Amino acid sequence: MQATALFLLISCLFIVHTVIQCKKELTLSERVQQLSDAAVKKPVLRFNGDKFRQYVKGTPRNYSTIVMFTALAPSRQCGICRHAHDEFQLVANSWRYSQGFSNKLFFALVDFDEGPDVFQSLRLNSAPVFMHFPAKGKPKKVDTLDIQRVGFAAENIARWVAERTDIQIRVFRPPNYSGLLALVVLLALVVGLLYLRKNNLDFLYNKTTWALAALAFTFAMTSGQMWNHIRGPPFLQKTQSGNIAYIHGSSQGQFIVETYIVAMLNAAVVLGMILMTEAASKRDDVKKRKIYAIIGLGLVAFFFSLSLSIFRSKAHGYPYSFLLK
Amino acid sequence: MGRTQTKSPSTGISSPVGVKSLLVFTVLLLAWMAGFLSRLFAVIRFESIIHEFDPWFNYRATAHMVKNGFYNFLNWFDERAWYPLGRIVGGTVYPGLMLTSGSIHYILNLLNIPVHIRDICVFLAPIFSGLTAIATYFLTKEIWSAGAGLFAACFIAVVPGYISRSVAGSYDNEGIAIFALMFTYFLWVKSVKTGSIFWAAMASLSYFYMVSAWGGYVYIINLIPLHIFALLLMGRFSHRIYTAYTTFYILGLICSMQIPFVGFQPIRTSEHMAAAGVFALLNAVAILKYLQSVMSQAEFRHFFIVAACTAAGVVFLAVVGLTWMGVVAPWSGRFYSLWDTGYAKIHIPIIASVSEHQPTTWFSFFFDLHILVATFPVGLWYCIKNVNDERVFIVLFAVSAVYFAGVMVRLMLTLTPVVCVLGGIAFSQLFEVYLKEEEPSRPNGGDSSDDDDDGEKNSRYDKAGKLRKMKHEQQATNDGLGVIRSMVIVAVLMILMMFSVHCTWVTSNAYSSPSIVLASYSQDGSRQILDDFREAYYWLSQNTADDARVMSWWDYGYQIAGMANRTTLVDNNTWNNSHIALVGKAMSSNETAAYSIMTALDVDYVLVIFGGVIGYSGDDINKFLWMVRIAEGEHPKEIRESDYFTDRGEFRVDSEGSTTLLNCLMYKLSYYRFGELKLDFRTPPGFDRTRNTVIGNKDFKLTYLEEAYTTEHWLVRIYRVKKPDEFNRPRIPVSQRKVKRRNVYLTKKTSKKRRGAIKNRPVVVKGQRPKAKPT
Repeated sequence: MQATALFLLISCLFIVHTVIQCKKELTLSERVQQLSDAAVKKPVLRFNGDKFRQYVKGTPRNYSTIVMFTALAPSRQCGICRHAHDEFQLVANSWRYSQGFSNKLFFALVDFDEGPDVFQSLRLNSAPVFMHFPAKGKPKKVDTLDIQRVGFAAENIARWVAERTDIQIRVFRPPNYSGLLALVVLLALVVGLLYLRKNNLDFLYNKTTWALAALAFTFAMTSGQMWNHIRGPPFLQKTQSGNIAYIHGSSQGQFIVETYIVAMLNAAVVLGMILMTEAASKRDDVKKRKIYAIIGLGLVAFFFSLSLSIFRSKAHGYPYSFLLK
Repeated sequence: MGRTQTKSPSTGISSPVGVKSLLVFTVLLLAWMAGFLSRLFAVIRFESIIHEFDPWFNYRATAHMVKNGFYNFLNWFDERAWYPLGRIVGGTVYPGLMLTSGSIHYILNLLNIPVHIRDICVFLAPIFSGLTAIATYFLTKEIWSAGAGLFAACFIAVVPGYISRSVAGSYDNEGIAIFALMFTYFLWVKSVKTGSIFWAAMASLSYFYMVSAWGGYVYIINLIPLHIFALLLMGRFSHRIYTAYTTFYILGLICSMQIPFVGFQPIRTSEHMAAAGVFALLNAVAILKYLQSVMSQAEFRHFFIVAACTAAGVVFLAVVGLTWMGVVAPWSGRFYSLWDTGYAKIHIPIIASVSEHQPTTWFSFFFDLHILVATFPVGLWYCIKNVNDERVFIVLFAVSAVYFAGVMVRLMLTLTPVVCVLGGIAFSQLFEVYLKEEEPSRPNGGDSSDDDDDGEKNSRYDKAGKLRKMKHEQQATNDGLGVIRSMVIVAVLMILMMFSVHCTWVTSNAYSSPSIVLASYSQDGSRQILDDFREAYYWLSQNTADDARVMSWWDYGYQIAGMANRTTLVDNNTWNNSHIALVGKAMSSNETAAYSIMTALDVDYVLVIFGGVIGYSGDDINKFLWMVRIAEGEHPKEIRESDYFTDRGEFRVDSEGSTTLLNCLMYKLSYYRFGELKLDFRTPPGFDRTRNTVIGNKDFKLTYLEEAYTTEHWLVRIYRVKKPDEFNRPRIPVSQRKVKRRNVYLTKKTSKKRRGAIKNRPVVVKGQRPKAKPT
């Protein structure tokens, strides 16, 4: 029994070997045919070492191949590879279902666990890597996508592919329903809340709520949250000397934590002003009003001078300060 | 001063009304003068000159209008811009600015006061800042009180956020538009308060002026409908707002369509659709209110549901259908990028490239508004707490403007007025309660008389009864705050004083540079004027043919047209992206490729700005990546941004920079012969002071261009494009020449010369020997 199994295994190996041997002799048209057939079924072809050498490196070629070298096995713990794989899949799908789909361009994937020899031969020691193998010649330096600079969003990959191969791919992203869904859920919550509390809608007429909401929005905007949203600065930064910088040194930039501090300072000044005004206009106990007025004055004076001194540290050569240097 | 008007018939100086109006008049006059004078730094330091870029076009257009008359101005086809396309100026400008200064010039001339139109253009914005202060006073007075109005007027007169766009010489649309904006809002609030057709019609006239002056009128035509919509949501519908809005909308619509540049946009683009929708909604609500008074309740409820559903469906289908059919244009990119903040960066590099379209840091907010940025929320707080119809407006104004200012630095300009209004309210509120010791009146001089719609809610919250009870016991305890009172007043006055000092410092240091004349200060404080821009433009105007075409990056188009009066290819009116991309492509290709583009575009001269000698950071090499990006957007095959970076993704001009960069036209034109220049003893030759490196490609010759002029500090460099027959063709070795030289010796001598005659040789005329004279 064992012998037969062994025999079977050996014969299988032999057959596989001969098949590979046969494939080596495949002509160009046959290879293109096989690749096209496979690509119609699966936009991203999965290659192991042999197939890679066969189809991607084999000469002559009249097609370009975009290969992503990656490590998708869970044991490799490559989180970024998943994202890259999704984006790559998106580009390949867009190409598969585009008008200009042809056998001039194929998308392939080599997983480290399936073809470590490929990684070795190309001297790759990181993943994911996107490489373009042109129809003629070897890949040059620009045929590797610079992930650090360009990123691997599907649109960027498509632009890079267009640069390298002159084939334009319009990326069709399946529309992102999550935002819409969140909106619908939020609306449903609001409507549900209103329905539940339909007998008591007073909170809608509560001016304090509205005023607080407006103030919160104002503080968010005047502290530059929109800048953070658009530019995406770091939360805070370590300086060369190892200290942690909360405040960006120049007037052109800001850290996220810095904007929070500024929002707090502004809010404290506003609170102080309101306390002062209320202390003088309310007709309560004198002692309480006195304390309020002093607290208000202290808040305004201290926090305003604090924000002025932060401002001063950013604006080089600004001459004025108040209380604090 | 509606609050303090008394019935006393005497209006002399001794009566309180007289004193108060004199006081108001004096304060406003002083605010006007302070605002005017603090905007004169640039004139005093330099001269009465038009600043920056866009003002030069406005000035040129104004001068053209003054010279040729208004109708010729409207029909003006400018063949000196956007060569070879040209530009229809009359149909693509907001003519309000030119009309304003043109009519001032006309009136002064009628009065026999000869003033050059340039001086009017230079001083227009400072004068209008005073008018803005007055408009702000009136608006704040309508919303809160006269005292708050005076504060607001003083704030707006000196606040840097507004000065940045209205210093003397900054002859731009914004200078008059902020006045028009505030005045329109004042008239609108007035018409909402009174419900009179007169004020609404005045508001639409003022809106007309605003439309003629600035593209920012879209903000008004969206904010006012938003106000109405909010009022409807709050259940504050009244016939006052109905009258005000319907009058305003119809008149304003018709008026705005009279501006050639606006044309049919108000009924065809999405930006204006909100106003139309609110107009329909308001009418629907008015009809419903009427029917409610006629029908029974059950009938009305049934009718209401049916009508609301059909109306909503019809409106939705109509909007979708019209947009789909292309009758209503979708949002234009510039406005769209305000909502989808990442949009411009990806799709419209030409918008993203302008520095004033960047988002705003907190530093800019503080820089432009100082204490007001921290105190205007107080005014917002009190406006919401004591809300009425017109305060809803100011709240919406503040919240929307602060959002837009966060998205774009440039829109700080629309935030500044409302910040001044609310800051004025905050400070006047504070001073009112701290200065008036003996008067125990309600602090918020607000009149909540128009809260009649929600009267029963009001009665629940109204604290009037409580207050009245407090009045007598308060008199006993009033002197409790004695010392603290004066402490608070002194401290707040100190802060306000710091505000004014800050404003002056910022105005003087940041906003008062004409940017076409630069100044540098040496160690001992002496000043050196760098007048290279005008030097170069003057050279162009004197030494080139009248129809010479000058290629430069679009930033300098208006200046070349205005100062040198030469034809430009692209300018600051960036309406044609592909044309700009073509210029960008020429600048970022190598010399040969650039030459073919330049001959195709008939370019005679190329002008580049180079700051490497004096360390001027706004030069063309620093802007260069935008040229590449814009060119890449249109010509992705030829130009690739990645080619201009090093392998590590850096943009550097030294020897490690990418070869594409080191050989592109812009690099060569900037650094031509720069390698020979040794600036001082500490640095090697070819040291670029702006980028603090030694340049990478020092030794090169230009084949297709020749240096025509370089200004004193190398700030502006002008090159002449050679004609095809004059450039030195590269020498090809004899062995590689396809056309072999024939070995036939061809003499250049003519048959006459071949004889070897001497020119002008005295010719001996042979004759007969004279016979011997008979003696």
